Amino acid sequence: MNVWLTQHTQALSLVLRRFRTNKLGTLLICFTIGITVALPSIMYAVLDSVNNLTSNIKSESRISVFLALNHSDAAIQTIKAALEKNAAIKNFKFVSKEEALGQLQALDTNKDVLHSLEKNPLPDAFFVEPSKLDAESIENLKAALSKMDGVEEVIVDGAWIKRLNYLLLLGQKAMLAIAGLLAFALAAVIANTIRMQIVTQSAEIELSQLIGATRSFIRRPFLYAGALYGLIGGLFALLITFTVIFLFNQSLAPLAAEYQTSFSLTYPSLPTSIITCLLSIVVGLISAYLAVSKSMYKLSSSH
Amino acid sequence: MITFDHVIKRYPGSHEALTDVSFTIEQGEMVYVTGHSGAGKSTLLKLMAAIERPTSGTVLINNQNVSKLKASTLPYIRRMFGLVFQDHKLLYDRNCYHNVALPLAINGITEHEAGKRIRAALDKVGLLDKEKAMPITLSGGEQQRLAIARAVVSRPSILIADEPTGNLDRNYAADILQLFNAFQQVGVTVIIATHDALGNAGEQNKVLHLNHGKLVNAEVVL
Repeated sequence: MNVWLTQHTQALSLVLRRFRTNKLGTLLICFTIGITVALPSIMYAVLDSVNNLTSNIKSESRISVFLALNHSDAAIQTIKAALEKNAAIKNFKFVSKEEALGQLQALDTNKDVLHSLEKNPLPDAFFVEPSKLDAESIENLKAALSKMDGVEEVIVDGAWIKRLNYLLLLGQKAMLAIAGLLAFALAAVIANTIRMQIVTQSAEIELSQLIGATRSFIRRPFLYAGALYGLIGGLFALLITFTVIFLFNQSLAPLAAEYQTSFSLTYPSLPTSIITCLLSIVVGLISAYLAVSKSMYKLSSSH
Repeated sequence: MITFDHVIKRYPGSHEALTDVSFTIEQGEMVYVTGHSGAGKSTLLKLMAAIERPTSGTVLINNQNVSKLKASTLPYIRRMFGLVFQDHKLLYDRNCYHNVALPLAINGITEHEAGKRIRAALDKVGLLDKEKAMPITLSGGEQQRLAIARAVVSRPSILIADEPTGNLDRNYAADILQLFNAFQQVGVTVIIATHDALGNAGEQNKVLHLNHGKLVNAEVVL
């Protein structure tokens, strides 16, 4: 246990010493890794924020069925019965024209306008919540409702939200694809850096193998280097992400104020931040392992 | 301690570097490996130190058959040896102290204990005052002594030196040989490869003389 601990602290302090002697190089590599990790993490923040925004209104997707002004009371009952039987409808609500007027009058701003009216201009209406939200079933339902007697107009609300959802889904897939590609780029950058270090340390590696170093002894400092690159790069990425979101929100605030909303990008949460760093460390470890295993094989076959 | 039995070593695409070599080295012996350059001295040393395996025949180190050992156990066999390489293999990116520290790091010896041992080894070869010097600033003889300090710091039971006096003038060479004698006297098995005439050293010690990969006559006196 003691030996194990010593070997690990030795490897770690060796790596830190190498980092110190090559400050600029280390900084540049970590910055490269930081930018590579920051790109998908900013994309994630944007998608997440838009997703949060839309999830509030997603549930409001419904169909409004306005009846003709001169319909009979019997028509209301037939429609009601038909709606109750329709399996494509989750539930519905009837709002009579008197109710609707009452709701409008409750708002102060409308009072003057409404008083100037001679009679109630509002139609009776059903608000229908469909059980299936995909475009096709909503289209079918809309057609069926339009054909009913006494129905004047059928309006599908929230169609744009569905389109936005599809766009968001597309955005998420694009983000995953880009994140995957960037992970490969990250692995290539780290593996190449480690390979360069192995070349510089080849005299030491060769000597160590000759005088009885195990493979894990030789591999250890490079694995630490890879993991540390990942960790520092991940922290850089978080720094970049927070800075970008902060600056973006600063310019977004006046715009959002114009629309009387308070939309802003959400900062990555603590779990998201930790996962970002962990993923970056894992990529660093794996690429270092691959780089060092390949180089060691070369060295040992040359003897 | 080291036994070679009908050992043949052939490198791919070349002649046999060693042909049918058999001998035994006992604990605490001082052994000279002699022969012209290209006779197979370095190959013999590499086989002894478990750096390479024989093409055929058996090499026993402490009764362990090197050919039958797993590659993952070879590093632990190698730690029994202190190696002084023909080209020194000093690391020029660190000072003398850290050069000598490497074998201890491989053996997992801790900082404080390591420091004591490193200074003791440097003291033994007369380089204690050069602890912080970079190897490139040392003379040829000093570099050789630094390489010896590194070889003995982990207290190996067998010390193997390939041409340790090769590029040194007579006085330095005598110093180095005296150093090796001192190690033999405390019980270390010392094996030295050299193409130099041995003088009276050859009369007192075992000599393995190689000629074109063949052991001509153990115990021959030049």
